[in-house]
Amino acid sequence: MEETVFREIAELARKGSGQHIPPTKSYLVEARLSSILRREGLSGVEDLVAILNARPDSKLSIEIAAALTSKRTRFFSERGTLERVAKLVLPEVAKRARDGRIRVWCAGGSTGQEALSLAILINEMGKEALEGVQVEIVTTDICERTSASARSGIFGHFEIQKGLSARRMLAHFTRLDTSEWQASHALASQIGVRTHNLMQSAEGLGMFDVILCRNVITDMTKDARTMALLNAARQLSERGLLFLGETESAAGLIAGLEPSRAIRGGYNRNVDAGDLTVAA
Amino acid sequence: MKSCLIVDDSRVVRKVAGRIVQDLKFETREASDGAEALDACRQQMPDAILLDWSMPVMNGLDFVRALRREHEGRKPVVVFCSTENDAEHIGEALRSGANEFIMKPFDADIIESKFAEVGLI
Repeated sequence: MEETVFREIAELARKGSGQHIPPTKSYLVEARLSSILRREGLSGVEDLVAILNARPDSKLSIEIAAALTSKRTRFFSERGTLERVAKLVLPEVAKRARDGRIRVWCAGGSTGQEALSLAILINEMGKEALEGVQVEIVTTDICERTSASARSGIFGHFEIQKGLSARRMLAHFTRLDTSEWQASHALASQIGVRTHNLMQSAEGLGMFDVILCRNVITDMTKDARTMALLNAARQLSERGLLFLGETESAAGLIAGLEPSRAIRGGYNRNVDAGDLTVAA
Repeated sequence: MKSCLIVDDSRVVRKVAGRIVQDLKFETREASDGAEALDACRQQMPDAILLDWSMPVMNGLDFVRALRREHEGRKPVVVFCSTENDAEHIGEALRSGANEFIMKPFDADIIESKFAEVGLI
């Protein structure tokens, strides 16, 4: 790929989703844009860039930025965190839930495995564990197509076997004639799917008691990472907890967001949501 | 080093699975049907068994039932690896003594994920 073409796409990605694509990863660009190229009847990424230069198309630009993001996910990814959330955090939240509801946000949740994994854990804990309190899980992704996939609750033959035990697969999924597996209605009904860009305010999603934003922001530029964290943290309820990936850290990025003293890996606000700011 | 017995009537599958399992740091042995597998287990009980379903002489289901009745037969972790991919077969395998079930076709990622699921790695 020509350097100028790559640079334009990389800039489009940075502006659209905060993603940082280093030149060494240029091979990802062709791969991730292949279905858009096919649909538009174009032979290469340079054609896409030429089209956008001739006539800026914000809808297409957004779609391209979304398509470039990594969708990699699996069931029960970094399951220690999920188990801690389900068994330690949620019961505590349930005790103080004012309107009988707990809200969890899986930010950058791709095709929905993270949300479903949490729902499975909650299901296995039984009703008494959360004192009858309903858990509403919202999973969001920047990419419309990925969200549609998450909404379907349908997983391919390979995806359904990554991170999911055969027992849990049988308990919560049904095999379709296509050899795909579909999440049960009982499980899927606990999960709402929305398309959302972490670079934008998440006000419309409401407040959450738990936010999972795991292995999503690492590929972003530093500024974008900070923006994403700020936008997410602003949706944390008073004693809500935010979790990143096991090797990620929010330390020193947001003033007013601090590591939880009670739960390992969690971050909570020590200021009002409106007072959170980018750390100096 | 942990040991894994690979039981499948297809030589190709045994070789492919064998390489993947060796990359996961297991020492491997092979058997082409349930009867051979039982003999291998009687000689030396493996830590893990990757097991096909449809095989001549003795199929995977009969093998795992027989295995679990053997002395030390509860020890090996048994992971079915089969083209019988419907809920009934999978359920039957788990009820008969298998610890996990891999639906064919598989890739290295799936074997690693399922082995981790049952605590082998």
